[in-house]
Amino acid sequence: MTAPPPDDPGRGGPGRRLPPYLRLGAVTGAYPAVPGPEPPGAAPAPAAPAPEAGAAASGDAAPVAAVHGLRPFVLTRGRVADDACGIRMETQVTVNPAAIDDQGRPDATLPTELRAIVALCRQPLSVAEISARLRLHLGVTRVLVGDLQTSGHLAVHTQDVPNPRSVDLILRVINGLRTIS
Amino acid sequence: MSDADHTPSPGQTGRRPMPPVPVKIVIAGGFGVGKTTAVGAISEIEPLTTEAEMTDAAIGIDDPGSRTDKTTTTVAMDFGCITIDSTLKLYLFGTPGQSRFGFMWDDLSRGALGAVVIVDSSRLDDCFAAVDYFERADLPFVVAVNAFHGRLSHDLDEVRWALAVRDGVPVLSFDARDRISVRDTLLALLDRALEQAIAAPS
Repeated sequence: MTAPPPDDPGRGGPGRRLPPYLRLGAVTGAYPAVPGPEPPGAAPAPAAPAPEAGAAASGDAAPVAAVHGLRPFVLTRGRVADDACGIRMETQVTVNPAAIDDQGRPDATLPTELRAIVALCRQPLSVAEISARLRLHLGVTRVLVGDLQTSGHLAVHTQDVPNPRSVDLILRVINGLRTIS
Repeated sequence: MSDADHTPSPGQTGRRPMPPVPVKIVIAGGFGVGKTTAVGAISEIEPLTTEAEMTDAAIGIDDPGSRTDKTTTTVAMDFGCITIDSTLKLYLFGTPGQSRFGFMWDDLSRGALGAVVIVDSSRLDDCFAAVDYFERADLPFVVAVNAFHGRLSHDLDEVRWALAVRDGVPVLSFDARDRISVRDTLLALLDRALEQAIAAPS
């Protein structure tokens, strides 16, 4: 197995570890999940699992039930995505094809909010659009997108940073706008 | 580039939909000046709203000495987008209306092509902070006076003087409801950005 390319979703950047709530749903095979340390505080007591349309019930339901019903802030456990991860509000996000089935459905063991994010990204979408369409706060969205990058579900295209002072780029935008009538 | 026009079905092995390169322009201005209207007039999609949690040290003007209380506020930013070509997408992000959240503009402005500061000519006070910010950030910007019903209560020279806008920064009038007018405002900004990009030492 060759080293993942720089834009590989399995490599979430320095110090990224797979959060506990994602380990069950991590994409395995092409991109091995990075094991992480247990968090110092235990995960919150599981909420009663709400029946979710389309959610697969399975024998491994116990850890999944623990995260169903958690609010996004709890999933992020107060983490804030810092600038070092390079995820801007306009950064484009795409799904790793290995993370969805032929019908475009993500792994059923993922928590609801994360399944929603993965399903949305079948077409390229910015972090801001994910946040707006799912009504998740921008900061929370950034962290969850980063987690899904680490777990291998998403490709976050932080490398595609245009140079805003590039004459060529500005001219392209000008020419594109001029076609609007 | 070869993948740009072809979005493969997600089931195809190893193929990923190629995303466009995103660029952005900041649409700034005080509360209710017409930022969302302007974005909506030109955006391909209905303006979306993203909310960000901001921790706001509740010192305020009333009690500058007390820094003990922090409140968390949600600020809303409306935004839209325009497909420039198959590999380039332009986002228009509106700033939060309240000027006290100027510190979050770094996040908005980083990497932006430039900014449009929308002004309501009867409420110039609201945009001093914006003009000041973009000048210090050395980001190309224009001042665009939203002319309601085609009339200005001050003429453009007075606006330029009142805001102490430097020579070379375009001050123009526009109609935020009109797509062509908004387009022309963005083009004026991009001309300014081009000017600065060419003038910058390579």
